[in-house]
Amino acid sequence: MTDRRENLILILPGLLLLCVAFFLPILRMLALSVEGEDGRTLAHFQRFLGDAFYLGVLWRTVRLSLIITFVCAVVGFPMAYIMARSSARVRLWLIVMVILPLMTSVVVRTFGWMVVLSRNGIIPELARDMGLAGRSFTLMQTESAIVIGMVQVLLPFMVLTILSVLSRIDGRLEEAARTMGCTFIQTVRAVVLPLALPGITAGAILVFTLSASSFITPSLLGGSRIQVLAASIYRSVTQTLDWPFAAAQSVILFSGILLVLIPYIRQQSRHRG
Amino acid sequence: MVSAVPAAWRVAGWIFVIAIGIFLLGPLVVVIGVSLSESQFIAFPPQGLSLKWYQAVLTDERYLSSAWISLRLALLVTCAATLIGGAAAIAIHRRSLPGSQALATLFLSPLILPTIIFAIGMLMFWSAVFGPLTFLTLAIGHLMICIPYVVRTTTAVLADADPFLEEAARTMGASRLQRLWHVVVPQCLPGLAVSAFFCFNISFDEAVLSLFLRHPGLTTLPVRIYGQLEFSPDPSVAAVSSIMIGITVILLVVIDRILGIHRISAT
Repeated sequence: MTDRRENLILILPGLLLLCVAFFLPILRMLALSVEGEDGRTLAHFQRFLGDAFYLGVLWRTVRLSLIITFVCAVVGFPMAYIMARSSARVRLWLIVMVILPLMTSVVVRTFGWMVVLSRNGIIPELARDMGLAGRSFTLMQTESAIVIGMVQVLLPFMVLTILSVLSRIDGRLEEAARTMGCTFIQTVRAVVLPLALPGITAGAILVFTLSASSFITPSLLGGSRIQVLAASIYRSVTQTLDWPFAAAQSVILFSGILLVLIPYIRQQSRHRG
Repeated sequence: MVSAVPAAWRVAGWIFVIAIGIFLLGPLVVVIGVSLSESQFIAFPPQGLSLKWYQAVLTDERYLSSAWISLRLALLVTCAATLIGGAAAIAIHRRSLPGSQALATLFLSPLILPTIIFAIGMLMFWSAVFGPLTFLTLAIGHLMICIPYVVRTTTAVLADADPFLEEAARTMGASRLQRLWHVVVPQCLPGLAVSAFFCFNISFDEAVLSLFLRHPGLTTLPVRIYGQLEFSPDPSVAAVSSIMIGITVILLVVIDRILGIHRISAT
């Protein structure tokens, strides 16, 4: 037996599984999206792109994902920076604080937000007590609820991605900047932020992809009235049972995500190569 | 020290961290709070204190059968993913196969694809080719999202391992199988252990695939909770959710005891 054959045996189960259970299903989905009563058709795409309702769903998905990504980046960078500069002990606890929610089921976390944001939940009640809102004020079934819930779900991804870049930055660079007379904020802006940028970009792309394709948190917090693309796909599969239309919507979602991913991957490989 | 952070920023930093902590952990605390409530309705802060919702869950046939399905699924997926992914990682690491860089990318590609798209494909493909959905369908689905994590973690661990150990074993006359089992597998072990915990956690908590591939006899715990949340949540959902949070905490503690938390954040 040669080395090559041994490695082939090792990799074969995974490779076969990947082809049969991963790539074939995706091809099947692609094929179904152009399948019509009589032969191939683009009708499902036309139906989506010609309907103001679905275009609204698409626009809402893009808009909310952008907001969620932006909030995660703005909050995630300082958080990651503090973690990177804390003592080992403190950092460990902060990592636990970030990873514990990450490892908890999205369904469970969303449930927590349903309780907090509902009409007699803590946040609307607080807003009423402070006179900021009327008596019937609720956050449930609003886009704000989706943003709040999704930021909590996705923030850990952003923080951990930025942290892994920040912890590779040489701390002496900051020392040098400070010795040269930079204030703390100037140092962060002129030294840390530019060096952390690859991490922020990677985190932003990850968060954008994940938020554009999630439906559990958006449908539980936004209700059926405020639909996002992924929720609409789920509806087509389970309620209207229109699989070809669901496939077409998935293709649209995936193309959108590739539109963001491909330039990034290209740029990455240029950097490495 | 020149680089000291000004006191005002330090204080602001602490306030910020505490706020983020409340934001990230708050929902979990609320769920646990609701589960301890005496009232029939979901309310936080809890009214009264009782464990009756836990009792309700532990005697509820539907929750128990879902928990059993989730547990079997997670254990099966963990074993299979660690085995298949670990073997693939070893082969990829050795770079003797043609196009091993492409193979590595291939194995990691499920990480890039949103789960919902894979879930749809799996549903449509399986229904068209094999017919009705079974436990196996869901297991294979979970397997496909777990294997990339195993491959990524294990190749990272192998990259730090001493490449000459296997060579040494070869010169000393160890057979192929002996080299694999006594040298390479022990080198992968930390990676395999971390991935196993990850796989269990991913499979046990996974809801997207499980929602698309569900049928009346195949409702995992997260899907059961999702269904309850859509229609009629009562504090028993909070009790199940709290149990799931508890399992996550236990997993984290075990990982920390065995390998140290710092390892997870590195992968």
